[in-house]
Amino acid sequence: MADKVKIAVNWAAACGGCDVSILDLEQHVLALSAMAEFVFWPVAMDFKRDQLRAMPAGSVDVGIFNGAVRTSEQEEDAHLMRDKCRVLVAMGACACYGGIPGLANVADREAILQTAYADTPSTDNPDEVRPMEAHTEGAAALTLPALEERVRPLHQVVDVDLFLPGCPPTEARLLDLVGAVAALADGQEPPPAGTFLASDRGLCHECPRRETRGSRPVETFTRPHLVQADPDICLLDQGILCMGVATRGGCGATCLGAGMPCRGCFGPLPAQRDPAAELVGALSVLPGPRGEWDMPVHQVVNPVRSVKDPLGTFYRFTYPVSTGRRTIKQGG
Amino acid sequence: MPGTAVFICDCMGQVSDHVDTASLEALARTWDEVTLVRREGKLCGRQELAGMAAALGESGADRLLFAGCSPRMSLKLPEDLLEQTARDAGLDPALVEVANIREQGAWLQTDDPDQASARARDLLRMARARLQIAEPTAPAVPLEKRVLVVGAGPAGLSATQELAQAGVPVTLVEKKPYLGGKMCQLNYIFQTEGWPSSCESNCTGPVHARRADIDPLVTAHLSSEVTDLRKQDGNFIASVKVGPRFVDPDACISCGKCEEVCPEQTPSPLDLGVRTRKAIAKESARAVPDCVTIVDEACTRCGDCLPVCPTGAIDLEAKETTEQVRAGAVILATGTEPRDPAASPELGSAHPNVITSLQMERLIRHGVERPTDGEEPEHIVYVQCAGSRAGMHKQGSGVPYCSKTCCSVTAKQVKRLAMDAPMTEVSVLYYRDFRTYERALEKLHQDLESMGIEFHNGEVTAVAPSTEDDELLEVRYDQLGCAEDADGDEDGGGGSLECDMVVLACAQEPRLPDAARALGLPTDPHGFPIENQPRLLRPTETFVDRVYAVGAAVGPKAMQPAVGQGTQAALKAIQALSPGERVPLKHASKVDAGRCSACGVCASVCPHGAVRMTDDGAVVEEAFCQGCGMCGASCPSHAAALRNFTDERLLAEVDAAFTEAPADQPRLLALLCYWCAYGGADLAGAERLSLPASVRTMRVRCSCSVNLGLVTEMFRRGVDGVFIGGCPENSCHHMWGNWLSHKRGAMMKTLMEQAGLDPRRLKYDVIGIPHAKKFADELGKMHRMLAGLGPNPWRQGDGAALNDAEVSWLTR
Repeated sequence: MADKVKIAVNWAAACGGCDVSILDLEQHVLALSAMAEFVFWPVAMDFKRDQLRAMPAGSVDVGIFNGAVRTSEQEEDAHLMRDKCRVLVAMGACACYGGIPGLANVADREAILQTAYADTPSTDNPDEVRPMEAHTEGAAALTLPALEERVRPLHQVVDVDLFLPGCPPTEARLLDLVGAVAALADGQEPPPAGTFLASDRGLCHECPRRETRGSRPVETFTRPHLVQADPDICLLDQGILCMGVATRGGCGATCLGAGMPCRGCFGPLPAQRDPAAELVGALSVLPGPRGEWDMPVHQVVNPVRSVKDPLGTFYRFTYPVSTGRRTIKQGG
Repeated sequence: MPGTAVFICDCMGQVSDHVDTASLEALARTWDEVTLVRREGKLCGRQELAGMAAALGESGADRLLFAGCSPRMSLKLPEDLLEQTARDAGLDPALVEVANIREQGAWLQTDDPDQASARARDLLRMARARLQIAEPTAPAVPLEKRVLVVGAGPAGLSATQELAQAGVPVTLVEKKPYLGGKMCQLNYIFQTEGWPSSCESNCTGPVHARRADIDPLVTAHLSSEVTDLRKQDGNFIASVKVGPRFVDPDACISCGKCEEVCPEQTPSPLDLGVRTRKAIAKESARAVPDCVTIVDEACTRCGDCLPVCPTGAIDLEAKETTEQVRAGAVILATGTEPRDPAASPELGSAHPNVITSLQMERLIRHGVERPTDGEEPEHIVYVQCAGSRAGMHKQGSGVPYCSKTCCSVTAKQVKRLAMDAPMTEVSVLYYRDFRTYERALEKLHQDLESMGIEFHNGEVTAVAPSTEDDELLEVRYDQLGCAEDADGDEDGGGGSLECDMVVLACAQEPRLPDAARALGLPTDPHGFPIENQPRLLRPTETFVDRVYAVGAAVGPKAMQPAVGQGTQAALKAIQALSPGERVPLKHASKVDAGRCSACGVCASVCPHGAVRMTDDGAVVEEAFCQGCGMCGASCPSHAAALRNFTDERLLAEVDAAFTEAPADQPRLLALLCYWCAYGGADLAGAERLSLPASVRTMRVRCSCSVNLGLVTEMFRRGVDGVFIGGCPENSCHHMWGNWLSHKRGAMMKTLMEQAGLDPRRLKYDVIGIPHAKKFADELGKMHRMLAGLGPNPWRQGDGAALNDAEVSWLTR
């Protein structure tokens, strides 16, 4: 048998769900371990960064990087992974788009530290202690990674070969990655750089509720916990904001199957310029009472004003890849 | 040699006095694809246009770039004339673009004369950018030469008759077993011109219906309904449920032998229950087709009629069938139905002596009598606005509009009653006012007044058996004071009228079949189809191409205007079908099936019913598309896009727009809707209003046609502010595009605010033709505001925003 495919897994700014989703492959993990060898996966096994550092450049076949980049250490890791790995995979919404941590881009570094170390009601920090990047205690010089000004997805830091979106990626899509690993083990070429291991079509295409879309007028938007949603009808038709119209498919619409709207974790569709602007464009035009063109304009806009937080809703996983990347503090 | 021919018009100094047109000529000569450049003092006028066509033809150019007056507002060389000129020269009119260097160039003033030329050159660059990637006209879609007419009332019959006479086959579908609709139930039909004179429907009805009955080009399905109406390949496919044909109209000679032997009596549907008839009988003496009919529910299938029929026309076992009809146009003439008075309990319609005015028509036909005992009534009270004009002031339920014909009908009936039942007293209770529309019909009203008919003004509060004598009825009402009362109090007490019969002048409600609604026809809150904008130029046309709504189907009306509308729609349908094909518009939409996720947002927003959802996703019927662009701008997959209005084209135009804009001024881009807003901007030029030098105007389709993702991209490409102009309230040429823009704008501004981009950088406003000054003022204001804000922080290259590489990663 040929040499096993060497895999390195690294975890940056993320919740850990991506690592768990690899373990959730269950029996498929055995297939993976039969053809691949984990040379680095600190969250699961005892590896140190120096071990990875010691490997020759390009000697690892597949690098799986989950999480966004928001500290100097994560940036260093990103470069290290890029250097050592032949194929670098951005795994999960955070690595692909910034993900939930990316919403931190509504604030900057100083505001975040101020909130976390001073302003929250539960903070008890009379000495105004803040994390220090360097400290010397006797002979020991200690360092901490620096918090960066903004959260970045992996491709804004280094070149990325494959994108595996999702929060976390679903089993089927992870198996696509396993398939790619198997192909590598067979000596085949990896998929072309920039490939998304997800559908290029919107989620609606695979949604079990698709047939019912447009079946009833949407008067206004509401929130999932405020209504008893019909389990079979398109959630948009029930006034529940669903990001499926503008989100890559590939997840099998599992949230929709469980009665929850798509939150957009597979990220924007190809050809989209700005994820939230596209969602605003598609969704804002849907709600409205019958005969609204007879109404004065201040009433016409009422249904869209029911969406209180378009940024958090429409950029939920994608804020760092928005046109402005982050919230502008002054002089917008 | 294929290439672009550029024609620049100086407009005898109107352009060249303000704009250095020689510099435009020089610029055009630097472009590789340009094979011919001509600059003329004047290009309009038949001779000049012929010369232009000849020069075009000789040059062999396949694209035309014209720089001169506005394609929208020029009265000399509007775009349709320019396109015709191109066609004359053998060019595809989709490959023609105009740089509007007169109205929005030379005429829109700037403080610096050099800037007028700079802006004109940018306008030329923008037009060139459009032309360079212009797509040729899409292939024509063959049209079925057949019109489906739904409803055989006066309007439908009139359309049918005109179409057949012009040689266009018609399928006519009527619910009733006879032709003529409500007209058959009216006796005397007032003529709105040249009254007094009235026709008898027994005379005019058959005249009206005859051609539909006898013309070989007309297939009339009676007792039938359209159950499904779809668009397919540019045409309409209707499923028609054809009622069982118990009596063959070809064989039947209406001899009446069957009626004589029939043992079953049943309330007559034509007489609305005020008389009975045999289960098999002629509907009325002059009903067309001349044929007896069977009331299915009443017939016991005893078979007594079968042996007496001399022609063997009767088949008691006939079954309902379904027919598929393919048509190139649809005329909806489905009329109205009186509003069910039972819906308003105060009208007391459960009492047998309370009838509708349509029932009174039948009584006048057969003899006026009290339904309960058949005696001549002593006192009849007409209650006007029974269910009409319900609204802010009126307490009773109903529709808010005036049903328009009821006052005249009441006047007509009361006058007839005076002749037919001279001993019967008649009073009229009217709400607010008694209006007989049309100048001639007021004479009827005056006649009643001179006859001494009592008119009471008030709002009916109850029609109920009298408390004093339960044989009698009492009509109670609140009196309405005169608005000019000193105290302004309209509640001047009440009154009551004792009578033995009440006639309700019921409101009329639409009864558009559900199948017609499925065409994607926008209707008003009451269910009447809305006519296409601009309504005054396109009456009878609905928002769906080749679907016409005529007669009472678009609002209660008297026969004469209904007949007129039928004729008008027939003419429109003939015009639409006579070429045998429909050439899709230059800006018709299409869907890339490979990208479409079938989310259906396009179908939800399409005001013209041109998008239908299939198992494979959305499909645009190009022959129905009116090019508003709402589908494309709402499509998150970017699968739907207009021809010649793609993302690529819009951005290419934006990239060209500010080439020579002063670097120290904010770049303000005005995206103006094709119709009102662009016209408003033209008039700002015609009024010689002024725009700052770094404003650029760009003509888009509907104000709702620009994808917001593209707007963010425009910011990223350095536009500092985007103004979107749409049609004024209720004037959108695409039904609701202006309102959808408002909604988009409202949500987008919240998002921008959250993202720290000043929301004032995006403005949506309505600009109509009278708003030239508003247009100039608003842009001037926005320009000053932007100057205060400074360059937009989403501008690429400043570090904050995405760079080109990242965007191409996103949009790959």
